[in-house]
Amino acid sequence: MVVASVAGEELQLLPERAAFWTRERTLLVADPHFGKAAAFRAGGVPVPRGTTTENLRRLDAALRRTAARRIVFLGDFLHAREGRAPETLRVLNQWRATRANIDMLLVRGNHDARAGDPPTELAIRCETGPITESPFVFAHHPTTSSDGYVLCGHIHPGVRLHGAGRQFEHLPCFWFGPETAVLPAFGEFTGLAGVDVREGDRVWVVAGDEVIDVTTRG
Amino acid sequence: MLPQVLEAIEEGESAIVFTNTRSQTEIWYQAILAARPDWAGTIALHHGSLDRARREWVENGLREGRLRCVIATSSLDLGVDFSPVDRVLQVGSPKGVARLLQRAGRSGHRPGAVSRVTCVPTNALELLEVAAARDGVEQAAIESRLPMERPLDVLAQHVVTVALGGGFRASELLDEVRSTRAYAELQDDEWEWVLAFLTNGGDALRAYPEYSRIALVDGRYVVDKKEIARRHRMSIGTIVGDAQITVQYLRGTMLGTVEESFIARLKHGDRFVFAGTPLEFVRVRDMKAWVRRAPNTKGAIPRWQGSRLPLSRMLAELLRRRLGEAGEGTYRGAEMEALRPLLEVQRRWSHIPLPDELLIERVKTREGWHLFVYPFEGRLVHEGLAALCAYRLSRLAPITFSMASNDYGFELLSASEPPIERALDEGLFNPHGLLEDINAALNATEMAKRQFRELARVAGLVFPGFPRSGKTARQLQMSSGLFFDVLRRYDPANLLLTQASREVLERQLESTRLGITLQRLSVSTIAMTTPKRPTPLAFPLVVDRNRDKVSSESLADRVRRMQLALEKAAGSVDGEQSPRSGSAQTARRKREKGATT
Repeated sequence: MVVASVAGEELQLLPERAAFWTRERTLLVADPHFGKAAAFRAGGVPVPRGTTTENLRRLDAALRRTAARRIVFLGDFLHAREGRAPETLRVLNQWRATRANIDMLLVRGNHDARAGDPPTELAIRCETGPITESPFVFAHHPTTSSDGYVLCGHIHPGVRLHGAGRQFEHLPCFWFGPETAVLPAFGEFTGLAGVDVREGDRVWVVAGDEVIDVTTRG
Repeated sequence: MLPQVLEAIEEGESAIVFTNTRSQTEIWYQAILAARPDWAGTIALHHGSLDRARREWVENGLREGRLRCVIATSSLDLGVDFSPVDRVLQVGSPKGVARLLQRAGRSGHRPGAVSRVTCVPTNALELLEVAAARDGVEQAAIESRLPMERPLDVLAQHVVTVALGGGFRASELLDEVRSTRAYAELQDDEWEWVLAFLTNGGDALRAYPEYSRIALVDGRYVVDKKEIARRHRMSIGTIVGDAQITVQYLRGTMLGTVEESFIARLKHGDRFVFAGTPLEFVRVRDMKAWVRRAPNTKGAIPRWQGSRLPLSRMLAELLRRRLGEAGEGTYRGAEMEALRPLLEVQRRWSHIPLPDELLIERVKTREGWHLFVYPFEGRLVHEGLAALCAYRLSRLAPITFSMASNDYGFELLSASEPPIERALDEGLFNPHGLLEDINAALNATEMAKRQFRELARVAGLVFPGFPRSGKTARQLQMSSGLFFDVLRRYDPANLLLTQASREVLERQLESTRLGITLQRLSVSTIAMTTPKRPTPLAFPLVVDRNRDKVSSESLADRVRRMQLALEKAAGSVDGEQSPRSGSAQTARRKREKGATT
């Protein structure tokens, strides 16, 4: 199990591209972008089916692994208004119905502003962040806060790694700074933005089924 | 080489200087103008990214004899008759005999006149290619061209175009399409697939109801969505580059287009050189880069992605013969004499391969274990061979290779020692099992993904940015790389994926040529040397940063041996970025993996 200790709390970093706040049994999920593929199809781009199902399969794997009782989505739950396709929403509803005991909260992101809140049947409470749950502050956009350590998304952070023999990889990562941590994008069908890691930051990459600390020391 | 080039231009009335890239035309234009400022107004440059009006002005100038010299790319290769031109210079290797003759033919374009071309090598090894091209011209060994075989991406685009232009009946259009050379062999199921792909995104079982680009109305296929029509009109074409952005003076004149990724690196006030003019970057607005003239200073020169032409098979064979002669100590002609000192270094440090030999060099450096293999078959064949060899080697032991290829050979670089002797014993170059192994190697590399980049754009899966496209369109932008990954995972039977692999195999890797090469290599004598450092032949491969990889190790295992890159270079492009800074993040647009490459 990979654990990041911040603000006196324990955060488990999961290969499903989510984090788990152990004490509060809360799963933290940034940027799922549900309905992104459907939005593309509506716009005349034939993205194949299956990304929503895959996203939910991975979310379930994280729930099983952690026995979480709550999910906090750190923004960009739905990708676009055009992505509110009946089929996508039906799959989401069906999934939600069998997980009624799990409390869900969305801290609205920039995509949510245009796509609209998730339908009420999904029973996801929506708030415009940041939301303080001491010692943490939940937000979509990276920021700092006098109220606590910020956990956020939005960037879809990725880093380049280099090795002997000119090997390199570009992988999604958890990026922890002194006052803010950025989670990888959860969505199946999202890109990566390279980030500029500074000295003192800690970085874990998601490499297949493993989360690996790649922070350079010294 | 500049003084000699100037001299050659001065000898004639009117000259064309051909280069192999658009950037090179800009560089040579600047250099010539700096050396001969009094030629201003009588020299010009011509390449495909310049505004059409400018190009036409240059073409007319050549025809009317107003211009002393034009620096051009292949944009001036064909079709135009410039009778006053009496000198042609080729900067860099022509890469093929037919191409060299084509360019030479731009001079002396009159009955009874003699065409002449002067080759200007840009590095020592290009002398070898010039010598080989000379043999080719003397022996009239001219390459033939392979036609395209039923590219479905182009067909998909054409079908939407016809639907947009009044619509069509399926059977009538099919007959018409089949009457062309490229689609004569088009199968019924391929045609059905293209129609289904455009009407519901896949076959009947995987239909996407919310998606359609063309619709069947009263027996005719038409485009019934305005937005689709608009987007299609703006992305018609089969020449694919990076997203292009128009460069325009503040006062209105358009200069041409450069790649968006080049403009993205510029700040207000930065200087660059384009269309032969020093410019100052002002701002980007409405998908245009607005500039003003800058005082005559040096500045960055834009680069355009273009396919680097590989050495033709004919030229490759002639080159191996010339090299073989040198291996036996015979240096024929001025080019080979000039190359002699370098080839002697090659011989002392390693070996010069004879025509029936395959040279393999093993070098250990700080970077790891380098394996250099020199079949001299052209870059495309080498890319395929590199992937094939890396794949076959990686089956013998867990190992990861980073690969580079050029026209002379390829390099496999690894962190541990590759089992080369064992691989050679077990038939590393055995043509048997080629197709299976090359397919497996393709899946392990990014080659099909790169090929897909073009297909995706032509078939209308991804779009370049449009003027005033606004937020809705931006939410539909996705890199072809991401698209490839999604298709491979969720719709592996997609025919465009199949086409990407087929094109890599047939066109890019020239699989038939690959097979022929393997036949030759499997009966060649292996000359294996272990030089202390990279040889003259190896050096261009060592510095090539454009690399692909093949691995038989798990991602996690590889990552554990890697380090985070704390390079400043990446950060300066992306701008100020840290989990500390809040507002800067909000303004930043997310970029998808590979979106700018």
